[in-house]
Amino acid sequence: MYGISAIALEKTYGSFRAVDSLTFNVKSGDIFGLIGPNGAGKTTTMRMLCGTLSPTAGKTIVGGFDIAKESIKIKTIIGFLPESTGFYNWMNGEEYLYYFARLYNIKEPIARKNIRDLLDRVGLAAKAFAPIAYYSRGMKQRLALARAMINDPKILFLDEPTLGMDPRGQQEIQKMLLDLNHEKGVTIFLSSHALTDVSTFCNQIGILNRGRLIAHGSLNDLRKLVNGSTRILVRILNTQEAISKLSRSPFNNTIDKVTEESVDFIISDDNIEFNQLVDWIRKENFKLTELRQIKMNLDEIFLRLTNPTYDKHSTPVTIKKSPSPQVGQTPSK
Amino acid sequence: MIIYRLEISGSIYSWRGAAWIITAASIFSLVAYLLLTDKELSLLDQGEMLFTFSEVIIVLGLVMSGINSSSSISTEIEAGTFECLLLTPIKHVQIAIQKMLSTVTIWIVLYLISIPYLIVLANGTNLAISAILYVGLYGTLLSIAISTISIALSWMLKTSKNSIMVALMIVLLLSAPSLFFATSLRKTDFGIMLENINPFSHTINSLDSVLVDNQQAVYEQFTHIWPVLVFTIICSIIFLTFTRKFEVKML
Ligand SMILES: Nc1ncnc2c1ncn2[C@@H]1O[C@H](COP(=O)(O)OP(=O)(O)OP(=O)(O)O)[C@@H](O)[C@H]1O
Ligand SMILES: [Mg+2]
Repeated sequence: MYGISAIALEKTYGSFRAVDSLTFNVKSGDIFGLIGPNGAGKTTTMRMLCGTLSPTAGKTIVGGFDIAKESIKIKTIIGFLPESTGFYNWMNGEEYLYYFARLYNIKEPIARKNIRDLLDRVGLAAKAFAPIAYYSRGMKQRLALARAMINDPKILFLDEPTLGMDPRGQQEIQKMLLDLNHEKGVTIFLSSHALTDVSTFCNQIGILNRGRLIAHGSLNDLRKLVNGSTRILVRILNTQEAISKLSRSPFNNTIDKVTEESVDFIISDDNIEFNQLVDWIRKENFKLTELRQIKMNLDEIFLRLTNPTYDKHSTPVTIKKSPSPQVGQTPSK
Repeated sequence: MIIYRLEISGSIYSWRGAAWIITAASIFSLVAYLLLTDKELSLLDQGEMLFTFSEVIIVLGLVMSGINSSSSISTEIEAGTFECLLLTPIKHVQIAIQKMLSTVTIWIVLYLISIPYLIVLANGTNLAISAILYVGLYGTLLSIAISTISIALSWMLKTSKNSIMVALMIVLLLSAPSLFFATSLRKTDFGIMLENINPFSHTINSLDSVLVDNQQAVYEQFTHIWPVLVFTIICSIIFLTFTRKFEVKML
């Protein structure tokens, strides 16, 4: 009902393609994170989804409405936190939110109540009556977030929502957004460079590179995509022969760290048999101190997928169990 | 009319916002004082005095309309507050119309302030009503024309520096021939043609004919009224066409 779809979405500036044949689906109730290098087209995409920028070609359906035809209807059910927001600096936070509440046609008593509630949720209650000119960077970001939520949106678009916020603030905002998602089923579409946050917070992740969506799926889907699913870290005591023995190992291993006491090496092999590994360790008489599987984190996936040389040296990218229609996108050239 | 109200409250209710009212009133007082007391100037007949004063009102109104309307959009674009306005479920053209109306409202306040001066200057003649009505008519039409065209321009030019500059140049382009050019220059073929299409010239000529030559009936002024009206309509059409959709491209 309140999902987001883009179909062959495209934005060109002159001959430059900022967004290129973008097709994806975000299900209602999902938390979708769009990541990608600077200039990848994240902001451009979000603006087209919110109707402040018209696409050169393609179509977007937000909350069941086609933005080209029913942009006013869409605007009543979405909230958008733009990449950078200006403020009427002479107003205080409360007045600012009230102004927007009125623009959304929210009646006074309800607006006042919602505003108090919102200011509380974004942690600005104490500064509600101070002029916005005196707000700090993070406080302004919180106010902008409150403004994006003033109309009780069913779908929230957040372009780098926690930018400029302190660590506690980031956590608080994440928690608030999660609550919103759980309690009211609000669909959240965000872009961010805080990949650790994205990987814990979003259940669907899209990677945009040079205007193209090169991957889309859950974190595990993305791990499979880069064949980074199984990696094992082995830590052994550093003995004289250890390193030379390692070079003759039957596994595909790389030495990660060598200290006086220990040697860490990583085995990356999708079809590894743990028993084999343990047998080999026994046979070589290594003094094992640690053995654990490490999962590839989003940073590594991101760096691999957006590496300009990546696609030349790897198999085409496919995600098997992605719920989105663009399964099997190949990376851009 | 939320945006309209914010705009108005910014330029009328607050002290700093209302500085222009005090300035305008000072200009009116100064000009009226000069007209009434200066030995040579006061030799002018009253119709001429009223005419000069009406010119001052109209020019002030035009300058104010140009600056106020072009800055009302472009300052929001520059401050980055415009994108949020565009996100609200209000048609873009509605935003533009509210901004335009707030400028016209300010013109009306300016005009209301000028009325007592007109009455005093017309004292003892039968010109007071005509002066008030014609200044009101032409001032309002030209204020609408300048505000609409200035907003359409700032919609495209986006920075306040550029849009205010262009708006002022348009005001100057319209008013310079009547205000500064010698009569001989205006009587050349080209000069006459320019005067025929220039709504400001029509306004000035009409006020001249009403206040100095005492041709007060509307039908006598119709040849001057309709070009101003047409100009206002053309500006409004341009305005409605350009402000239908705003693209955030350069924000
Ligand atoms: N008006 C414009 N004219 C020309 N090119 C533009 C315009 N607006 C954006 N671009 C280009 O489009 C590309 C995408 O920009 P966009 O702002 O969407 O990137 P982004 O993914 O949001 O980056 P960031 O992570 O830095 O926020 C950039 O290369 C940018 O230079
Ligand atoms: Mg961006």
